[in-house]
Amino acid sequence: LEVVESPERRAMADPGSAGSSVRTDVIEALTDLEELERVYTQLCSEETQVEVELQALVEKQGGVESKMQLLQRMGPNLQLIEGDAAQLGGMISFTCSLAENVSSKVRQLDLTKKRLYQAIQRTDDILDLKFCTDGVQTALRNNDYEQAAAHIHRYLSLDQSVIELSRQGGEGSGVEASLALLQEAELQLKALVTKRLEEAVSAGDLPQVERFFKILPLLGLHEQGLAHFAHYLCGQLASKAEENLLLAVGSDLGERRAAVIFADTLTLLLEGIARIVETHQPIVETYYGPGRLYTLLTHLQTECDRQAQSVVDRFMQQRDYLNKFQVVQGSMLRSVSTEKMEARELDPVLSEVTLMNSRAELYLRFLRRRIMADFEVADATSAGSVVQEHQQCVQRLLKECELSCRMQELIGYYVPMEEYYMRETINKAVAMDTWEAGQLTSSMVDDTFYIVKKCISRALSSSSSDCLCAMINHATSVLETDFREVLVARLRVGYPGSTLADLQRGVSSAVSLMQSSLQHGKIHTHIDSQEQAKHAYLVTLNNVDVCSENISTLKKSLESDCSKLFSQGAGSDQAQAKIDSCLSDLVNTSSKFKDLLQEGLLELNNSAIKPQVKPWISNFLSVSHNIEEEEFSDYEANDPWVQQLIVQLEQLMVEFKVALSPVIYDTLTSLMTNLITTEMEKTVFKCTFSRLGGLQFDKELRSLVAYLSSVTSWTIRDKFARLTQMATILNLERVTEILDYWGPNSAPLTWRLTPAEVRQVLALRVDFRSEDIKRLRL
Amino acid sequence: MSMEDYDYLFKIVLIGNAGVGKTCLVRRFTQGLFPPGQGATIGVDFMIKTVEIRGVKVKLQIWDTAGQERFRSITQSYYRSANALILTYDITCEDSFRCLPEWLREIEQYANSQVVTILVGNKIDLAEKREVVRQRAEDFAESQSMLYLETSAKESDNVEKLFLDLACELIREAKQNTLDNSDAAAVPGEGKSISYLTCCSLN
Ligand SMILES: Nc1nc2c(ncn2[C@@H]2O[C@H](COP(=O)(O)OP(=O)(O)OP(=O)(O)O)[C@@H](O)[C@H]2O)c(=O)[nH]1
Ligand SMILES: [Mg+2]
Repeated sequence: LEVVESPERRAMADPGSAGSSVRTDVIEALTDLEELERVYTQLCSEETQVEVELQALVEKQGGVESKMQLLQRMGPNLQLIEGDAAQLGGMISFTCSLAENVSSKVRQLDLTKKRLYQAIQRTDDILDLKFCTDGVQTALRNNDYEQAAAHIHRYLSLDQSVIELSRQGGEGSGVEASLALLQEAELQLKALVTKRLEEAVSAGDLPQVERFFKILPLLGLHEQGLAHFAHYLCGQLASKAEENLLLAVGSDLGERRAAVIFADTLTLLLEGIARIVETHQPIVETYYGPGRLYTLLTHLQTECDRQAQSVVDRFMQQRDYLNKFQVVQGSMLRSVSTEKMEARELDPVLSEVTLMNSRAELYLRFLRRRIMADFEVADATSAGSVVQEHQQCVQRLLKECELSCRMQELIGYYVPMEEYYMRETINKAVAMDTWEAGQLTSSMVDDTFYIVKKCISRALSSSSSDCLCAMINHATSVLETDFREVLVARLRVGYPGSTLADLQRGVSSAVSLMQSSLQHGKIHTHIDSQEQAKHAYLVTLNNVDVCSENISTLKKSLESDCSKLFSQGAGSDQAQAKIDSCLSDLVNTSSKFKDLLQEGLLELNNSAIKPQVKPWISNFLSVSHNIEEEEFSDYEANDPWVQQLIVQLEQLMVEFKVALSPVIYDTLTSLMTNLITTEMEKTVFKCTFSRLGGLQFDKELRSLVAYLSSVTSWTIRDKFARLTQMATILNLERVTEILDYWGPNSAPLTWRLTPAEVRQVLALRVDFRSEDIKRLRL
Repeated sequence: MSMEDYDYLFKIVLIGNAGVGKTCLVRRFTQGLFPPGQGATIGVDFMIKTVEIRGVKVKLQIWDTAGQERFRSITQSYYRSANALILTYDITCEDSFRCLPEWLREIEQYANSQVVTILVGNKIDLAEKREVVRQRAEDFAESQSMLYLETSAKESDNVEKLFLDLACELIREAKQNTLDNSDAAAVPGEGKSISYLTCCSLN
């Protein structure tokens, strides 16, 4: 509508202009023909435009009319709707006030009902009060404490404010008297039951103890009840524990469990407490409700601490524990000590201490589990802060109890003694190191790792993650420094080198070696000790290699042992993280042994292989490669160099092959191969070649590569890449033929030689002209 | 190692008398809080925090040891592999300061020779109760060629600085060490001997 209307509105607002952009007076003032024509065409075009617009408006007329009709037909309907809406509004407000009316009545009813109930309750309470007053008197007269307590409990659970109201209200003196009687009865009963419980406790009469223990919570005396009950239990505990300790102290040294008798005694004590919890927790829960176990166990723990102290004291005394520790500490501080402790002597006491600690840990875990479970029931609806406070209480009880402290003290002494045991025993293993023919390694490596494993496992058996970590740390230190130093020292002696090699070169066979050594006894012993030194060196290399392997094995087995312990609920994530960190330090020492092995092999290569191999390679120089057909075929029949070299290498390496582990031998071969290739390169550059000489060299190289490939698992071909490429160059027909292999044509070949080196090799050919080589574009 | 998301890994061990605030320092640094009613540490606690210093990621492995005497043999086993030691005392407790020489003897005996030691006087928020004047501690630290810093775990004074300064120092030393080692490799036998070969095969 807007669009349709606007042109009309415009026309009405400006009637004079008639919609043209050219004003009439302007037209009349026109004189120029051209101007006239321009205005005329403009007016004409305006006219057609106006016509088009008019046409469009006329076309819309039908639509507008039908819409108008529609609107007119809607008129009466709208009036109807308005009436209906007003009616609906009236109805709703009516209903609303009706509902309001009804519900206020219901509310009133509710209130009345509630008051009614309260009135009934109050009547009941007052009736109960009378009933209780009478009941208590009778029950007390009959010594029926349970009944009396039940009445008092009923009285105590009455709404105190209601009672107060009743007293102020009209009921008056009757209630007042009842109350006074009840209060008196309550005090009387409390005193009586407490006294009877005390008597039962000192008489050790369990049925009576339990009887009155059950009554106290009815009188609201939870704490007292638990304290007295705990007192009784502690008494039981103490007499049993003292008896056990006496037995232990007096026990025969020959007895089967004599070596762990104090651990056993401690175990009996702790198991006793566990049994008490098992037996009496139900009755506590039933009569005192959940959340009370903590209180009971706090009482019991003081007795446990007392008894555990006695056991530990006796243990320290009888086993001379502190003195042993002091001797050990003394001899660790001063390397030369007047009094030295036999490591073996420590063995039993170390085992016993770890056993004691693991029992204590087991017990403390048990306590934690039970108390937490009990609190959990009680705290199901408590605020987070209460839960947290309870957790802290338990934590403190377990962490700060005397039992924990004494165990920490024992472990504190244990760690240095175990360390000493480990060091001393390893020293002994090193001192008694033996090597048997046919073995790759000597005894001390296996022995050492056996000892390390034993010590760490014993620390692990204490169930204390801190104790375990400390021993892992010590083991790492012993292996990385002390034990590694032993191996370093042995390698430092070196591999007996050239002197022996010279000697051997002088004698051609084993027989003559024998003879000569018989003739010259001196040489014999010399050779003997040389042989020993060689063996010692090679065995040490094997030892070093096995060490890094053993360390990984040790770590894996400790990991699985730890996870076994942890799956039983010992330790926390924190403890696990600590152990993981210490174990990863342990396994890192493995790389130190790998480095040492590498250094040892380099030394072997330098002192035993290099001096031999170098002259063998230099022999290549004395075999002319500037040869003709005749010499070439002569070489074919009588190999001038490479076969001899292979035999010599074979002879040189056979000793290492039998004496070294396959992996080390392989590494050594690889080192030797590197040596051969660098020496060969140097040598080849000192030679001259004819075409056939190049071919000969190629053949020789192939034989050498084939041989070396057969004795090692390394890929030899790659190490020989440069030499092979040199042989290729030396085999060319013409200088320019190199271009068939170079640059864009090198396709499968990656050149390891620089362009300068290629020219250098080409220059070795006597038949290549240096101008041709210079002209090459590489 | 290269898979891990850090450039350096350092082990820092906190030592010092019981109750001087070692655990509070660590928790302030690693968790940003001052724990109310912090109980004595049992054995050794272990925490990790990775910090970035001028684009270098440093993973700090922090071992918080128990100060109580009966844990001494356990805590000593951590000295050897420590890169740095934070020797802590309580400025409001003369006794904890007087024990320092004893701690230094322990360090001498068990730690490796390259360990970086920093002396920390904690609880400076309790200025009115101070028993050890700053100058005295500074002189002592200097005489033992240790760094010195005063902190408050409670007010978070200098705690961040303590660990970050230490990390910087450790990075510096680590760089120095690799330099020394490469020198030794360039001129075998001249530099520090890093393996038995450099000291035996040449003589
Ligand atoms: N005012 C104040 N109190 C502190 C500060 N640091 C620690 N404390 C308090 O000193 C007490 C001991 O703190 P811990 O961190 O447990 O001490 P610790 O050195 O770890 O003690 P051990 O674990 O037994 O060796 C706690 O009560 C702390 O609240 C501090 O900077 N200022
Ligand atoms: Mg602490």
